[in-house]
Amino acid sequence: MTDWSAFWLSIQVTFCGLAIAVAVGLPLAVLLALHRFPGRNLLEVLVTAPLVLPPTVLGYYVLVSVGRSSAIGRFWESLTGGPIVFSMTGCVLAATIAALPFVVKNSRSALEAVDPGLMEAAANLGAGFPRRLWTILLPLARRGIIGGCMLGFAKALGDFGVTLMVAGNIPGRTQTAPLAIYDHLLSGRDAQAQGLVLALTGLGILVLWLVNTWANPRPTDRRS
Amino acid sequence: MHPCRDLLVGMLLCVLHSGSLLNTAEPLIIAAASDLGPAMDELKWLHPQPITVVLGSTGLLARQIAQVAPFDLFFAANRSFADDLVRNGHGVADSAVLYGRGRIVVWTRAAAPAPAPVTLTDLLADRFVHIAIANPEHAPYGQAAKEALQNGGWWDRLEPRMVYGENVSQTLQLAQSGNADVAIVALSLAVAAPGGRWMLIDDALHAPIDQVAVMTTQARDPIASRAFLAAVASPAGRTIMRRYGFVLPGEALDSTLLRTPDAP
Repeated sequence: MTDWSAFWLSIQVTFCGLAIAVAVGLPLAVLLALHRFPGRNLLEVLVTAPLVLPPTVLGYYVLVSVGRSSAIGRFWESLTGGPIVFSMTGCVLAATIAALPFVVKNSRSALEAVDPGLMEAAANLGAGFPRRLWTILLPLARRGIIGGCMLGFAKALGDFGVTLMVAGNIPGRTQTAPLAIYDHLLSGRDAQAQGLVLALTGLGILVLWLVNTWANPRPTDRRS
Repeated sequence: MHPCRDLLVGMLLCVLHSGSLLNTAEPLIIAAASDLGPAMDELKWLHPQPITVVLGSTGLLARQIAQVAPFDLFFAANRSFADDLVRNGHGVADSAVLYGRGRIVVWTRAAAPAPAPVTLTDLLADRFVHIAIANPEHAPYGQAAKEALQNGGWWDRLEPRMVYGENVSQTLQLAQSGNADVAIVALSLAVAAPGGRWMLIDDALHAPIDQVAVMTTQARDPIASRAFLAAVASPAGRTIMRRYGFVLPGEALDSTLLRTPDAP
């Protein structure tokens, strides 16, 4: 029998993490796509670095920057009464870090692919930036943005390294599905792990399929 | 006995056991429970061949050996994992040897502002917000820690404060970095960890942590592997193990290790 509590925790954590990644990542993507400013490359490198850094390196940075003896960690603790590490907040932070690069990178490419002539025409007709953003840019780029969100979701759902290092692996509170699978396997409870393994595999494949067929259809598919 | 002489005797034993192996460049690969990290750094010099040590939680390493990981020796933190390997045909029965009994300690940072606990009951104090132990499901030192707290009647009240390290070494790191206020870890790690205070936990509170080493059936060099096991059991090996707080078969714990040497 599979215990699904870790799976539901993972789903909650992933959605929270993705929501934050979108709230932070989408404005960043707009900024990176539409504006040239000093430090633009550096900003993009920083945002997308989690894609290429080893999870242990990321976990180390997170522990050092938001751990209980860090300035941010202490500030958070004085504000909320609880630490970031060893809590669901820590899991959500790990999920956000995992999802952010996909959200930013894919959204940025989609935003850059929107014909700038449309934006200029709308501006000439007197539409302000917020209106152009809501009625032209975001709707036209929506497939790429949603595709990035889906990939970010899949990546965040599967986060292991950072979560292991910062969340304390507490069953029912911070033990996400990938960590539960690891513990089940090490303790010889393969049967318990199998349900979770299948669920995560299924979700991963579903997301990729959706991204390929719907969010980023090949030119031949688009006609139909 | 003088430590230098112990070392010489140990090396001699290795040479006698391994014969011409001095020429072999292929390293022995030892999978060791993470409580053995500091001790292994010294033990490996008892052997004429280069030695590669792979550290991890006993459960993880046992799992890998069952999948034919290329380890020659397995130093488990608990007898049951080594026994399972032998039973399932991955460990050589007559090579299994009890190399020491582990002890657990309550470890706190020396730099922590609040006073260190003096008894396990002190852990109930509010200042210990997060208590780190190794994952009791597959790390023997975590099992012992949980058992001790259960037998003392503290577990139910402390469980909400528990956080779990993947292995006993990561557990110590959680407290060293100040993220957990206290950790229950192996004495062998506390001895080697700078900047901390420890307090020994009564071993009547938990089942003995009998550490058993076994040669794997896939060991590429059985003669050298057995020679290393003999070196660990030699007087030189025992000196090292004793210094790291392992209780050796037929001995009592080195009494200087009951608590941090400089603790008040």
